[in-house]
Amino acid sequence: MSEDIKNPTRRDVLAGASALAIVAPSAFADTPGDKIRPLMLIARPQAVDPAQFQAAQLVAQEWRKLGLKITVQIMPPTQQSTAVWMNRTKWDMTTWEMVGRPERSDPDELTYSLFHSDLAPSGYDFVGYINPEYDHLAEAQRAELDPDKRAVLVKQAQMVIKRDQPYVYLVYPRRSMAFNSDVWDPASIVEEAGIGIRNFWTFLGAKPLTAQKDMILNAPQGTQNLNPVRMDPIGSWVTDMIWDHLVRVDIHGNPIPWAASSLRWIDPTSLEVVLRDGMKFHDGEPVTADDVQYSFEMPQTPGKAPQFFPNVVNIEKVTIVDPRTLRFTLKSPQSSFLTSTLSKIALIPKHVWKPIMDSIDGTTQTVEDYKELKHVGSGPFRFAHWRDPEEIMLERNPDHWSPPNLERWILRTVSNQEATLGMLRNGEINFLAIFTGDPTNVAELAKQLPNIKVVTTTDLGFQYIAWNLRRPPFDDAGFRRGLSMAISRKLMAAAAWNGFAEPAGSCVSTALPFWHANDSLLEGGDLAKAKQMLTEAGYANVSGELHYPSGKREEITSG
Amino acid sequence: MTGRALLLRLGQMVFVLWVVTTLLFFLFRMMPGSPLAAYIDTSMTPEQQTILLHQFGLDRPLYQQYGLYLFNLAQGSLGFSFIYKTPVGSVLLTALPNTLLLTLSSLLVAYAFGILAGAFLAARRGTWIEAVSLPFVLASRALPEFWLGMVLLAILSFSFGWFPAGGATSPGASFPNEWARFTSLDYLHHLVLPALTLAIFLQGLPLLLMRSNMLEVMQEEFVVMSRMKGLSEWSIIIRHAARNALLPVATALALGIGSSIGGNVVVESVFSWPGLGRRLVEAVSASDYPLAQGAFLMIATAQVVMNCVADLVYATLDPRVGRR
Repeated sequence: MSEDIKNPTRRDVLAGASALAIVAPSAFADTPGDKIRPLMLIARPQAVDPAQFQAAQLVAQEWRKLGLKITVQIMPPTQQSTAVWMNRTKWDMTTWEMVGRPERSDPDELTYSLFHSDLAPSGYDFVGYINPEYDHLAEAQRAELDPDKRAVLVKQAQMVIKRDQPYVYLVYPRRSMAFNSDVWDPASIVEEAGIGIRNFWTFLGAKPLTAQKDMILNAPQGTQNLNPVRMDPIGSWVTDMIWDHLVRVDIHGNPIPWAASSLRWIDPTSLEVVLRDGMKFHDGEPVTADDVQYSFEMPQTPGKAPQFFPNVVNIEKVTIVDPRTLRFTLKSPQSSFLTSTLSKIALIPKHVWKPIMDSIDGTTQTVEDYKELKHVGSGPFRFAHWRDPEEIMLERNPDHWSPPNLERWILRTVSNQEATLGMLRNGEINFLAIFTGDPTNVAELAKQLPNIKVVTTTDLGFQYIAWNLRRPPFDDAGFRRGLSMAISRKLMAAAAWNGFAEPAGSCVSTALPFWHANDSLLEGGDLAKAKQMLTEAGYANVSGELHYPSGKREEITSG
Repeated sequence: MTGRALLLRLGQMVFVLWVVTTLLFFLFRMMPGSPLAAYIDTSMTPEQQTILLHQFGLDRPLYQQYGLYLFNLAQGSLGFSFIYKTPVGSVLLTALPNTLLLTLSSLLVAYAFGILAGAFLAARRGTWIEAVSLPFVLASRALPEFWLGMVLLAILSFSFGWFPAGGATSPGASFPNEWARFTSLDYLHHLVLPALTLAIFLQGLPLLLMRSNMLEVMQEEFVVMSRMKGLSEWSIIIRHAARNALLPVATALALGIGSSIGGNVVVESVFSWPGLGRRLVEAVSASDYPLAQGAFLMIATAQVVMNCVADLVYATLDPRVGRR
């Protein structure tokens, strides 16, 4: 505070002096600006996310060596989200993560939403990155339908981000999942790029080797809603199998026709879809073109399906050509349409959902909050029971055109992470779908027991430090580059994530080699270079404290 | 207790509950973090945030929210859960039976054991039995519950395989109705380990209480009198001393039942028990005000009611209390 009062005086004197003497400018340039205020880094509690917590401590430690005062402020997740999301000008830095979801195997969502300036005021560009050059690339890749040409644009976008460093990318986590190979034929358990072995294709294809034909999996918490027009961290595992989609993302991350027998682009904004013959909903009714049309039109109802609204917003209309053929007309070309819309929107029976929509018409209730008693889809699994919060059970749908091999799929809520390993050992579960504890314990278990097979997959999601570009000194790319150079991504992966992570350099994970720019990684960890970069950008270290470039004042006095 | 005293007591209860309700209402709203934080996603626009706030009733001024809450509460409605989108009452009711069965069965075991063992240890004062067992009792009080739970899991479940490690029923088990589920052997089998953990943790209090009361009572004149009458030592302990020593234990039990309604977060988490404790944590961490308020209000009500019950029981066990 006292600095703020003192400094202007000093500068006023200097400014006055420079007017008097011609020698002054060089002296003026050499005088550092204000001392940079103490900066706050928000992180989650150790108990919630030990790796992220550790990463925040390590990062703060490195930056202190540059002459910055860094306070690590611990906040529970909801408080952190509120602080970062709702008060966009009030924070300095925060740990953050983007989670991997199957539809993020198309780079569009993250490439566009995270950094496009349209989303800076209140959308996903919460750091406030604004760069017309980037906007142009993000829009161009969205409109480019040729995958090879598009990949070039997506990689260019990643390189712009590498140059500007709006995030300090840390790592792509590597996640371990496991299964009992006495129960499941290892050849039938498949790994999906960026997702792991817990995926639709595994559940569909898993071949039981013994009389145990039930797949019993764990989840750390229950879900609140099983609803086909809703996304949920756990619920979506279930809804994805009850309700079919026109397209599904295959294990390599590419969209392939599923409930559609064929897809054909007539022109950049018209897609013709032919439905597979003889599909039926679980209540015995046929899946008609009318149902499909309704499935895409219903989320377009304003305010009724907020989560899926963005996925259908680019659809101009869906027309029924004949009882098995539909034509999607788009408002503008959208390269990610198959993945982000067709693989995402569940096919729902109109005879079930039309009455529901009518019943909530004119109320504030959204359709995504609606609680169905029966869950009628057309997918390869049928809903059996939901004993909340203990378990959700699905059973094989023998009438599906591609029925699963297993009999029942039982998702158990196991809140005790360490106990999941014991349960995997004694057979209470036979598929470890998620493990949020120390992954070395899973590897250890597999070493002891030959029938436990572990598969570790690099995630589509990533972990990073976000800084608020609206607030100095983070508005200066030179400052950001210097700080980013100080952080060793290898050290982060090894020390904070116990080796279960890969250094990260962009929002497109290495799990997607087709889209990932190999040169995007800034390895960092070079403190001397970091100091040099800061000096070149005009920042001066005055007796161990970092100052702004000459002439720049500290404008923010409180956090 | 006279009718007037009883009315006064009831009036006090209502007042206490109103204070608790008010405190809870403002406490949760002062908590950092917004209920909207649970919904942050790529798709969330400011308009949708406004819709949600309106849906949650959070766009009204605080005093209106409070008035509305009290008004609904008076009509027996706890409101709608933000995250479940269903009435709070029904969210709590799905987990309540599991919690009650777990906590009441462990209380029963703990108090039955504690009372008997406490009386026994008092009778064996100064012997090697006391020297050996007291440290164990004290240790069982001091053990962290999660550690005890993990040890029991490691031995009885993972090593011997006698008991399942989590849940309240076997994977895929189905029952014609909830009653059939709660009375099934499968349910009982799953109940043993968590209930045992909780019972070991809980037995120390009644045991030590009983023992020290007994030691005190055994010094009293009526005991000396009984001895002089030539009654057998066990008859004195059981029929005369124990009855008097039971009074504070009865109070402790009543309060124990009261606090058990909230479930036991630690034991429920260790054994993945589908109880109320975990719901509560979930509600608080998601800033689900109605659910959190409802859950805590239920706990407070149980506490207040059981407190009253304890007073009544006391009056019955010890007629002197009622007359005062």
